[in-house]
Amino acid sequence: MTAELDEDALVPLRVTVNGRAQALACGGGETLLTLLRERLGLTGAKRGCNQGLCGACTVLLDGQPVRACLTVAATCADRRVETAEGLLRGARLSPVQQALVDGGAVQCGFCTPGMTMALTALLRAEPRPDAARVREALSGHLCRCTGYVKIVEAALAAAEAQAQKGADGAAAGDADARAEGAAP
Amino acid sequence: MDHAMRFAEPDSIEEVLSLLAADPEARCLAGGATLVAMMNAGLTAPSLLVSLRKLPGLASIDPQADGAVRVGAMARHATVAAHDGFAGAQAILAAAARRIGHPAIRTMGTIGGSISHADPSADYPTAITAADAVVEIAGPEGARAVPADEFFVDWLETALAPGEIVTGVVVPPDATDAAVHYEKFTRADGDFATVAAAACVALAEDGAVAALRVAAGGVAPTPIRRREAEAALIGRPLTEDGLAALGAALADLSDPIDDMRGSADYRRRLLPRIVGRAVRRAAAAFTARSGARSGTGPQAGGVA
Ligand SMILES: Cc1cc2nc3c(=O)[nH]c(=O)nc-3n(C[C@H](O)[C@H](O)[C@H](O)COP(=O)(O)OP(=O)(O)OC[C@H]3O[C@@H](n4cnc5c(N)ncnc54)[C@H](O)[C@@H]3O)c2cc1C
Ligand code: FES
Ligand code: FES
Repeated sequence: MTAELDEDALVPLRVTVNGRAQALACGGGETLLTLLRERLGLTGAKRGCNQGLCGACTVLLDGQPVRACLTVAATCADRRVETAEGLLRGARLSPVQQALVDGGAVQCGFCTPGMTMALTALLRAEPRPDAARVREALSGHLCRCTGYVKIVEAALAAAEAQAQKGADGAAAGDADARAEGAAP
Repeated sequence: MDHAMRFAEPDSIEEVLSLLAADPEARCLAGGATLVAMMNAGLTAPSLLVSLRKLPGLASIDPQADGAVRVGAMARHATVAAHDGFAGAQAILAAAARRIGHPAIRTMGTIGGSISHADPSADYPTAITAADAVVEIAGPEGARAVPADEFFVDWLETALAPGEIVTGVVVPPDATDAAVHYEKFTRADGDFATVAAAACVALAEDGAVAALRVAAGGVAPTPIRRREAEAALIGRPLTEDGLAALGAALADLSDPIDDMRGSADYRRRLLPRIVGRAVRRAAAAFTARSGARSGTGPQAGGVA
């Protein structure tokens, strides 16, 4: 998918990205990944395989993890998209992001945004998952560097940190927090 | 190549059907997990994508008056996996849906997209064949219903005529209240099956087999069943010999291919093992369930 568009085939698209409502136009077959990376300059979601296999492009659509490389952008009309960029609170990393950094779970970092979104969705739904649930949530996310162990440990540490901060963790799911996080 | 690809997201079936009828190069778009992957790989470039997302009633799972459950074509794998309104053999759909791909694939993919693509290594085709489900189809000539057995015609080929779409899958009620097990053998978690078997088993008070349905996937151009071999096991306790006969009957009918998930020969040898495991585990689930219900239940399903 290239970002060059045939005017005749443009589809108007209203979509909320990281808390900000956007009025855009996209190609009929353009993927959400192309839209994010090439049109909106949000390069957090990575293009690894473009086949749904590696997980590097994973973003949240209405709160659920999807493969941006397999999502037709035009089907996102009137829906909410969240990327790793949207998890920042100002300059502050989210608990998942911080735990991945602190735990040495990031090496080249290519897989990290996708892992981050999968773990963010998991911890919103299940604040205290066990290691088996974490591994299940990360299935379909390939990492060529870390060997996964530190990523699983970081996810458990993030859950722990959220639990200690009490209600703070739940705020990750609320719209105000997202809007604030998306402020440029 | 894709620059002129158009997109439509109608809110009525009539409009979807007329768009598909007007343009043979148009394709309907469900979750996109297969279609967009093929577009990205340059294997297909439809002139028009007709999204089914806005069609009313297509994404829900609805109980019918006669005890059947209708699963709308746009029901996501995650929704089916979590559905608790299936009874007896119907639950094989949820068991199979739980084993499809990875979490993000299960939030995207739909039952309609999966069965329309008709990959024999995919999980739903095998599950709906075991459940004796019926595929609901809408098309320019009107609506029709095709049993799963007849829906899967060949490798990636279904009974859908050009311009027709799947609107839902109707899973009949199961008077035997069978327990189910979906056994899937993969080389890596979340991959398509090398070999899979869907089993629905009910046992009598004395532990004899009261009802049995088994479909196998990944071993032929379509899912396969051997109804006469299933019937041969009814009325007797499950034995290793009985299961071996069922496995051998299915292996006889199988016509596997060599691919990166395993050679044809490997699949043929694996098949009876996977079938045996699926049936034993379904029987064990039946026993455990009746034990939990009555506090006693029938004897264990014969073989441990
Ligand atoms: C990484 C990955 C792993 C996967 N693992 C598995 C697995 O383990 N097991 C498994 O079973 N599947 C697996 N899949 C496939 C996935 O389950 C999708 O369900 C399946 O690809 C198709 O569903 P869809 O809704 O995405 O359909 P689409 O991709 O949108 O459509 C597929 C095809 O069906 C047609 N179509 C869609 N809906 C209809 C309809 N209602 N009527 C008529 N035609 C229709 C489309 O035109 C297209 O030709 C995997 C996919 C990926 C990307
Ligand atoms: S780039 Fe989307 S899954 Fe690999
Ligand atoms: S850190 Fe390099 S791929 Fe995961």
